[in-house]
Amino acid sequence: MTMRLLTALPLAIALAMPAAAQDSYPDRSVRIVHGFGAGGNADTVSRILADAMTEGLGQPVVVESRPGAGGTLASGYVAAADPDGYTLQLMVGGHTVAAGLYTSLPYESVDDFTFLSIIGQFPFFIAARSGEYETLAEVIEAATADPGSIRIGHSGVGSTQHLTGELLDIETSADFLHVPYAGGAAAVTAMMGGEVDLVIDTGTAIFGQADAGVLDVLAVTSSERWPDNPDVPTVAETVAPGFNVVSWTGLGAPAGLPDDVVEVLTAEISRVMALEAVRERIAALGAAPVGSSSAEFQELVEGQIATWTEVIETAGVERR
Amino acid sequence: MLEQFVTGLGVVLQPEVLVYAFAGVLIGQLIGVLPGIGAITAISLLLPITFHLDAMSSMIMLAGIYYGSQYGGSIASILLNLPGTPSSVVTCLEGYPLSQNGRAGVALFTAAFSSFAGGIIGVAIVVLAAIPMTTIALRFGAPEYAMLVVLGLLAASLVGTGSNLRSLAMVLVGVALGMIGADATTGYYRYVAMPELADGISLVSLAMGLFGVSEIIRNAASRTGGVTQPKISMKDIFPTRQEARSLPGPILRGAGVGSFFGALPGTGAAIASFMAYAVERRFSRFGARFGKGHLPGLSAPEAANNAAAQTGFIPTLTLGVPGDAVMALMIGALILNGIIPGPRLMVDEPVLFWGVIASFFVGNIILLLINVPLIRLWVLMLRVPYQKLYPVIIIMICVGVYSHRTSVVDVVLTLVFGILGYLMKNYRFEPAPVLLGFVLGPLLEDNFRRAMLLYRGDFTIFVTRPISGVLFAITVLLVGFSIYSAIAQRRRVRARNEATTQ
Repeated sequence: MTMRLLTALPLAIALAMPAAAQDSYPDRSVRIVHGFGAGGNADTVSRILADAMTEGLGQPVVVESRPGAGGTLASGYVAAADPDGYTLQLMVGGHTVAAGLYTSLPYESVDDFTFLSIIGQFPFFIAARSGEYETLAEVIEAATADPGSIRIGHSGVGSTQHLTGELLDIETSADFLHVPYAGGAAAVTAMMGGEVDLVIDTGTAIFGQADAGVLDVLAVTSSERWPDNPDVPTVAETVAPGFNVVSWTGLGAPAGLPDDVVEVLTAEISRVMALEAVRERIAALGAAPVGSSSAEFQELVEGQIATWTEVIETAGVERR
Repeated sequence: MLEQFVTGLGVVLQPEVLVYAFAGVLIGQLIGVLPGIGAITAISLLLPITFHLDAMSSMIMLAGIYYGSQYGGSIASILLNLPGTPSSVVTCLEGYPLSQNGRAGVALFTAAFSSFAGGIIGVAIVVLAAIPMTTIALRFGAPEYAMLVVLGLLAASLVGTGSNLRSLAMVLVGVALGMIGADATTGYYRYVAMPELADGISLVSLAMGLFGVSEIIRNAASRTGGVTQPKISMKDIFPTRQEARSLPGPILRGAGVGSFFGALPGTGAAIASFMAYAVERRFSRFGARFGKGHLPGLSAPEAANNAAAQTGFIPTLTLGVPGDAVMALMIGALILNGIIPGPRLMVDEPVLFWGVIASFFVGNIILLLINVPLIRLWVLMLRVPYQKLYPVIIIMICVGVYSHRTSVVDVVLTLVFGILGYLMKNYRFEPAPVLLGFVLGPLLEDNFRRAMLLYRGDFTIFVTRPISGVLFAITVLLVGFSIYSAIAQRRRVRARNEATTQ
């Protein structure tokens, strides 16, 4: 709690002063809000960025976790915040899923945000228990022959991992049984215990077991082979040409951010993204530390919203 | 295993490593005392510090925060009926009455010692039986979890001091509250009156409200201003010889129950402490003394939650899969140091693996050493007049609950549950079964429906799968035994009545 109080102190002092001119941005602490639990991937990435940006911006950058409703609470909060550069959001791929999954969101998924930069991009890996299947093609064959017999464990209904499995159903002739678990770790445990046959999840959730020979990694969901794991074939080259799922984390802000603030922030983000320590930490989390222009980021978001909205409709996932 | 453990001990006892173990348990202890602020919040705030530490020091410090918070959690439970962590809710049941009877010192000492004993037993199980425990844990699928929860819910009707029917009603209230939020199987929203409830009511709000806040309202309403504690000397904190003799059994049973639940991914310390308490009550010859400050009833759950906090590391260390959110954070810290934990961690990184486990042992000793001298200081807090103390407590509860999810709705709900808890107490309904139903209900539904999905609606799997079948048999026996003893007792009473009327 002392930590919290200490971090809040500069904020309190800053608030007591009259609003300074924009050109002195930032003259008080900046928040990075995200919509997931403390300690999750979004939280960790936020803290990596906050740690590094505090130096460059010359003001404390603090992380604020506002978990709930698949991250949409935080998005709603940020969309309604003042576009002054003091409230940023660590966005994740789930932002694009939410656009199709929720019947009424208190914000527009694209128009209410300023997309600053992509931070990391990461694919999902499809794994099976060691020795069960040689290739993904074999799995698809089995799942086609006996519908519902092959079980995919995923990290929760409406998660990107779940929808990636549904997309695999749509793109191939397979008919999988999709089994929800409370998080990816629970799904991996269930597969090790033999309760499900396949798991689709991030590299960090899978490679610890794969390196020990407990799991076989059958495929990666990106369209090209992933540079860190060149031996793993893609879904596209094996069973479903054109298949491409790459999730991401990125930094955004409310719409209507003044241009000079955008400039300061994008300059700082590209500085931070070039730091070896930051790149290493993001890479350790299984993501390629990419960085991007604002336009590239927005294009990615728009494309994925279209994809996931269609998958949710076709697969008949319950909208909420 | 033992020689590796000793090697690990050698690593931990180096001053530059020991300092992180000490820092971790100290922070954990303090975080545990503060209501609502859990180990997760503390660990995620400290995560950036671990960027600059090596994997071993990071893990040792973060782990220390986690199990240290289990020690600290019992302090506010005993003194103020305020569960510092969800797993110390059960500690309130016996600890707070003891404190009201002027025996806060004894309660704190018993809690600290039982925590220590439970922690050490948990560490011993991690050292000696991590691999077999992992094998058992992996055999627990959806049907097994579902049956285990049924058994637990049944035992739960024995938690609480009122009638079994009233407890059962409260368990159901808890289950109903647990239904709020997104349905895990389909994602459908149930009773989501506002988006803040999409992930359900927070356990922290419910526990703080039903226990802490309701107690504050009760004290304020009664105008007696709490109990004045007598000044205590060092010798007043030890249980009497007779009491001390009654403790080894509860500690061993509690640690056993705790170790088992801790090693199962997805259950954890809170459920472990409830189960240990239920077991203790069921098998005690002094059932009537529970709820009025019975030391074995304090000892067992304290041993259980600390044992569970240690064995909770088993799936994390042996499989590389985290059992809960705290463990996920630990794994995150390892990953940031370039180590992806998996089944090979023990082989590839033996120094890290055994160093961390040895640090649990050292950490528990440090915790005992810092806790015992502090007891007199804690008891002094009760000498502060209650009307001066409770505004501070209310503020701390609000800050703690808010920091948990940065949600004002949670704070309001905490106060609402406080009023509800006060009304319940007035009508002699116990809050503890509500919490148990709240924790176990969703776990039952989730696993039952997953089992039905996996086995295409075939009910027989609950009996035909070996572990599930055994759990089912125990449940049936327990129900049968309860009905039989109820009938037998009624007969005895009737026979006696007839004898007296004739």
